[in-house]
Amino acid sequence: MRNVSHLAIAALTLSVSLAGSAYAADPVKVGVTVTQSPPGSVVQGTQVKDGLEVAAKMLNDQGGVLGRPIELVVEDTQGLPEKARAAVEKLITRDKVVAIVGEHQSSNVLAGMEVAHRYHVPYINTNGWADAIREKGYPEVFNPNNYNRRVAMAAADSIKKLGAKKVVAFAENTDYGIGLAKGIAEQLKAVAPDISYRFDTLDRAAKDYLPAILPLRSDPPNVVVDIMLPPAAYIMMNQVYEQGVAPATKTWLYDASGLADYPDFWQNVKEAGKDMLVFGLYHPKMKAPELAKTIGDAYTKKTGAQPNRLLYQAADSLLVVADAIKRANSTEPDPLVKALEATKYTGTRGEITFSTESGYKYHQWLDIPYVTFQITEIGQKVADAPLVEQAGQPLDPSKLARP
Amino acid sequence: MLTGALAADLAVNGLVTGLFYALMAVGLALIFGVLRIVNFAHGEFYMVGAYAYTIVAARLGVPLAVALPTAFLFGAALGWVVERTLMRPLYANIATWGLMRDEYAVIVTFGLSLLLVNLVDKAIGPYAFRAPALVSASRIVVGPALMSGQKVAAAGVTLVTLAFIALFLRFSYWGRAVRAVSQNRLGASLAGIDATAVSSLVFALAGGLAALAGALLSPIINASPDVGAFPAIKSYVIVVLGGMGSILGAFIASLLLGLVESFGAVLVSYQYRDTFGLVLLILFLLFRPQGLFGERGREV
Repeated sequence: MRNVSHLAIAALTLSVSLAGSAYAADPVKVGVTVTQSPPGSVVQGTQVKDGLEVAAKMLNDQGGVLGRPIELVVEDTQGLPEKARAAVEKLITRDKVVAIVGEHQSSNVLAGMEVAHRYHVPYINTNGWADAIREKGYPEVFNPNNYNRRVAMAAADSIKKLGAKKVVAFAENTDYGIGLAKGIAEQLKAVAPDISYRFDTLDRAAKDYLPAILPLRSDPPNVVVDIMLPPAAYIMMNQVYEQGVAPATKTWLYDASGLADYPDFWQNVKEAGKDMLVFGLYHPKMKAPELAKTIGDAYTKKTGAQPNRLLYQAADSLLVVADAIKRANSTEPDPLVKALEATKYTGTRGEITFSTESGYKYHQWLDIPYVTFQITEIGQKVADAPLVEQAGQPLDPSKLARP
Repeated sequence: MLTGALAADLAVNGLVTGLFYALMAVGLALIFGVLRIVNFAHGEFYMVGAYAYTIVAARLGVPLAVALPTAFLFGAALGWVVERTLMRPLYANIATWGLMRDEYAVIVTFGLSLLLVNLVDKAIGPYAFRAPALVSASRIVVGPALMSGQKVAAAGVTLVTLAFIALFLRFSYWGRAVRAVSQNRLGASLAGIDATAVSSLVFALAGGLAALAGALLSPIINASPDVGAFPAIKSYVIVVLGGMGSILGAFIASLLLGLVESFGAVLVSYQYRDTFGLVLLILFLLFRPQGLFGERGREV
């Protein structure tokens, strides 16, 4: 009888310890919302997803977090806010994820973060630039990525350095496009009030932008600013070039959306891309922490493609979550949010910290590094495009090649 | 401000855009005329044509002059298959149109649209592709306007194609058969016309025209899985404006819509450009529901 009792106790102890070890090995689920099918930008979604997978693999190879592997649970939003909202709801309530990462369209971030806020689950905005995301002031939302005000400041400074008198922007009809177009207006008013600036909002589903472009032929501006994403941006660029508006001797084409970084850029744009100035969040000649090389090499090995800005933004999004989990020693929302707020983590692009000032600065990594480069040849790789503005320095007009 | 040069520019651009709309809308009008159904997958024939041309020309290296008719034939073949397999149940063993199941056509063509978009998305990928241009010149002066060489070439091919379609419908046996069936299917059958074959022909022709439109514009608008949605919506508006089933009406309405959009975008606002067609549509439905060249009703 005694032996039976001992056996029973041993069996119970073993089963409890096995259950305990199984529990310890349960993955830490992180929700991912990305565009994997049209009408949203699948190009962006794929780069983000690949970046997250590379970072997750690196973390898991190092032992995961709190001794548990990280598991990404991916949902396709098609770039539609209503689907983004539903995806976040599903990830939180059904999959029990500890945080949401990956979203790369502002409209989707604005939709998805509402759900995350309701459930008080950390939401890492990977590529939503709209300032409205920050201005909501949600404690669960963190932004280790670029923001419209940053681009607006960069664009306004560059436009001023170009000596422009008249500027026209073409902005897509999204939170991102309209927000950035308005932001540039505010910044230009602040730094160069003499410059005449207006923007046209274009439907990103449309194919013919000529009626908006034709009036520029007789009265060309000094700078045309692109605030559109592919594929609409490519069509607009081709039509702007076809009409002889920009890039032209009198008119610069300034790309505020970082188009040259997209893998299908040269498939869709030929002469229209030459001489374009590009606001760049990534350029191989930028100074970067060692981690960038590790992540970049792993990405190239996985996809065969060169590193890009979305890879690093995606990787940093997951890395700050992992860092916060480690510091909080928990995956519960409250300690995680608190740990995220205290982030001081050297990611792939520099030391990430989150401001607690209100407005567009709220929970934003303010010092996002950026450069400006110029495409000087058709088919040119970003790595070969000369920098005309180094990170942290003003644009140098003497380095520009006139179209 | 609208200067003379800008007005001329807008007029040329509007007319050229209208020509492209016409290539799509004429096919849709033909289908409605003969089959009395709205093909919700019409935009996807456009998309298929854009991809067919891009793949055949850019990937397989086939000469462009061959790739273009190949895209037309591909669209026509797809149209023929769709008619044979999906549309036939609409009128199989039914001599009059009174017994047709309209809801079937709506569901099946809408389903086909979703199927084709997702098939292309998964099989080829979601990335946009720019096809090689028939004429590589980036800019050609056309009167007061500047256009890409491809646009000029596409407009030329479109004009020739539409003229050919008009002559075909006016003078050929099958053209007369199409017109007869569109007037009265039962009457045409009694006169010895094979209405079923006419239905196949019309679907194939409409598919081919939409595919040709997609192929001609693929170097300008870049092929992507959802590329057909916008021209399809325009075509539906045009067919109603022109008069349901009227080929001439569809052609005139296409040019009208192109011009209204072009001028309206400058005189009113570019942001309302796509609403102009819808405003026209509402006005027509209120004051001339039969459209420009449609009839109020027809009884035999």
